[in-house]
Amino acid sequence: MDFSKLTEILPTGAVLLSEESRRVYECDALSAHRVMPGCVVLPDTVEQVQAILSYCHTNDIPVVARGAGTGLSGGAMPHAEGVLLSLAKFNKIIEVDPIQRTARVQPGVRNLAISDAVKSDGLYYAPDPSSQIACTIGGNVAENSGGVHCLKYGLTVHNIMQLKLVTIEGELITVGSHAFDSAGYDLLALLTGSEGMLAVIVEVTVKLVPKPPFSRVLLAAFDDVEKAGNAVAGVIAEGIIPAGLEMMDKAGVRAVEDFVHAGYPTDAEAILLCELDGSQGEVETGLNAVEQLLTRYGATEVRVARNDAESDLFWAGRKAAFPAAGRVAPDYYCMDGTIPRKHIAQVLSGINDLSKKYKLDVINVFHAGDGNLHPLILYDIAIPGELKRTEAFGSDILKLCIEMGGTITGEHGVGIEKISEMCIQFSDDELEQFHAVKAAFDKKGLLNPGKAVPTLNRCAEFGAMHVHAGKDKFPELERY
Amino acid sequence: MQEKIKIIQDQIANAIEQHEPLKIVGGDSKAFLGRNIVGTSLEMSDYSGVINYEPTELYITVRAGTTLNEINNTLAKHGQMLVFEPPQVNARTTIGGVVATGLSGPRRPYSGSVRDYVLGVHCINGLGKELTFGGQVMKNVAGYDLSRLMTGAYGTLGVILDISLKVMPLPEFELTCHQSLSLDDALAKMLELSALAIPLSASCYDGEALFIRLSGDEKVVKTSSKTIGMDVFEQARQFWNELRDYKSSIFNSKNNIWRLSVPVTSVLDVGNEPCLIEWGGGLYWLDSKRPAEEIFNLASAAGGNAMLFKGTDPQQEIFQPLTDGLLSLHKNLKNAFDPHSVLNPGKMYATI
Repeated sequence: MDFSKLTEILPTGAVLLSEESRRVYECDALSAHRVMPGCVVLPDTVEQVQAILSYCHTNDIPVVARGAGTGLSGGAMPHAEGVLLSLAKFNKIIEVDPIQRTARVQPGVRNLAISDAVKSDGLYYAPDPSSQIACTIGGNVAENSGGVHCLKYGLTVHNIMQLKLVTIEGELITVGSHAFDSAGYDLLALLTGSEGMLAVIVEVTVKLVPKPPFSRVLLAAFDDVEKAGNAVAGVIAEGIIPAGLEMMDKAGVRAVEDFVHAGYPTDAEAILLCELDGSQGEVETGLNAVEQLLTRYGATEVRVARNDAESDLFWAGRKAAFPAAGRVAPDYYCMDGTIPRKHIAQVLSGINDLSKKYKLDVINVFHAGDGNLHPLILYDIAIPGELKRTEAFGSDILKLCIEMGGTITGEHGVGIEKISEMCIQFSDDELEQFHAVKAAFDKKGLLNPGKAVPTLNRCAEFGAMHVHAGKDKFPELERY
Repeated sequence: MQEKIKIIQDQIANAIEQHEPLKIVGGDSKAFLGRNIVGTSLEMSDYSGVINYEPTELYITVRAGTTLNEINNTLAKHGQMLVFEPPQVNARTTIGGVVATGLSGPRRPYSGSVRDYVLGVHCINGLGKELTFGGQVMKNVAGYDLSRLMTGAYGTLGVILDISLKVMPLPEFELTCHQSLSLDDALAKMLELSALAIPLSASCYDGEALFIRLSGDEKVVKTSSKTIGMDVFEQARQFWNELRDYKSSIFNSKNNIWRLSVPVTSVLDVGNEPCLIEWGGGLYWLDSKRPAEEIFNLASAAGGNAMLFKGTDPQQEIFQPLTDGLLSLHKNLKNAFDPHSVLNPGKMYATI
């Protein structure tokens, strides 16, 4: 493939052709899968993005767009004969409108940078994926990222208003608007979570929400996982929508307690963390109600954080679950299935059975409020065959999620990682419909080829995120 | 119900063979919406019933022909609701029509729209294929979000069979306040209130007074009503229901009624024509004799869009014209779902 022509379209330094410079981009956070990109381009204007895509379209060159590369499903894994289009230079907040409560930002702006920029207006951007200090808004849109607080505040799709995108033909199109409704099909929803398969996003308008005046966390311990699962349903049945509702099993509690000393009860079979926000009075009334309810559901202990510092400490344990897993095993593999809440206990017991079958330990942490599971399978890549066994175990967990009426991915995306399981979750007709939608935007199939939707005749190789010796590609990032 | 699905598939097969498009009909309560189209009726009202409702899972799965009335009653028994407050035009209004038109009620700016609460659909595309997208769980990023794409697509992409919607708890307490204000002052007040951490759930300016609804924890609602310093309005339920169901007096006009969705900070020149404003300044209902082009320009200049809600000229285009780039994507998508163009063709735009 001849990429040298790209140097004519782009300024000096914006095209990386040497092996050393391309090496940096060979994987995202699913680092088990590495491919050297054919070339890397770093445009800094929309016109350049248009020119690159138009050139690639004319010359049938595959294009993979990339933000910060923090994705866990291999969505930004490069194409060996293709262009890796980094949007890293699109890192400006274009406009903040505190009255309209919107911010117009470039796709390479980090998630947390948006909230930081509008803090003085008493506003913030609600979706908070755990990698928010590093992940970019463009990547969040591509994956429809969630976070701890999405039960109450929604996913990325609920928190953006407008996208500017460039099609593979190089055309600049605006979808959505700064109004509540837009004309025509809801392309904003379609583009969100489309994993870079349909277009390249060059601008995002996000909604901003007023910072709640008060928030507080409560910790409850249970001597039985089923009781904890039922308590989660009980909170919802009571008409309470917590800002966050998290669950961790015994293995998880022990691993994090050894690590961060959050004061978690290590004899508990499961713990719940429940955060409420709003006005102080509302939160205090709510916490009281939740405390009584959890006790009724069999909590052996309920602790309400006395101040912000204690709330932070309660959260610190939960947020340390991934690195804690990295301390107790050489490698771990993170899953992302979502199930109806009522099946939490049953799925946990299923995962435990699988753990015995595959002879691999597992730590379970959940976004329990919305049924999103993150089982962390512990393994050692140095032991021959163990990665393979881990992947088979992970695949069985995803199958279990589908059987329970859930889905293979709640917030990490399909990428290349879960492409095989897509064949289980969707029928051939449904996959064909996905391919038809892809073709409506990208007839030649040049954008992020081979990701997100498997071809019918062959489900692609199955991969895994594996973390060696507690070090993933971004060890400084929180993962929870 | 499998029989009904087979009937629909046969109707689609027949439509393809005869080159005779289908016109999807639910409760027919919103037949006045969208462009006039001809076609063989595909009736959905006999495909009804609640399939699954689990209050603690916060979702309900219903067949498209289920009346909104039945759904609202079912949810209310468990202290829950459809938080996007869909218009109940009459007793026959079905959930299929609500999702197909994507229209939300007064609570929309504060709690989200229909599509925000759509979790999944089971549908039949224009090739007669039975497909399921999304599901019942809150978080699901497997595959493209085709259930949300179908929301507001006016039946042009598929026949929606079953829909799973996220439901939310009914507010413990509601209170409406009002105050006589000029249009400019009312708009400013709506923006000012939106910036406060108070449980707003609806806002409306009817040309004379501003109405503000607060919903949530009783103590918080009462404290907030004092903060905003307006008088309590007693006939609130009727007022908001009429607004939600397009029964407010502006909808009785003999002129065109336009619905303009614009950014909340825009200042629209409504002239002397009667208008009603909701959604914190983001939705204008305009009773206008102005030509369509002028209204479309008014909306687009403000960064929004207009829709002819009730028109006097059956030939008039209804929806804001799309840019060439957008229209071409729309055509490609229509072709991806309904290549023979048998499902409500022309209902939104002439070519899709």
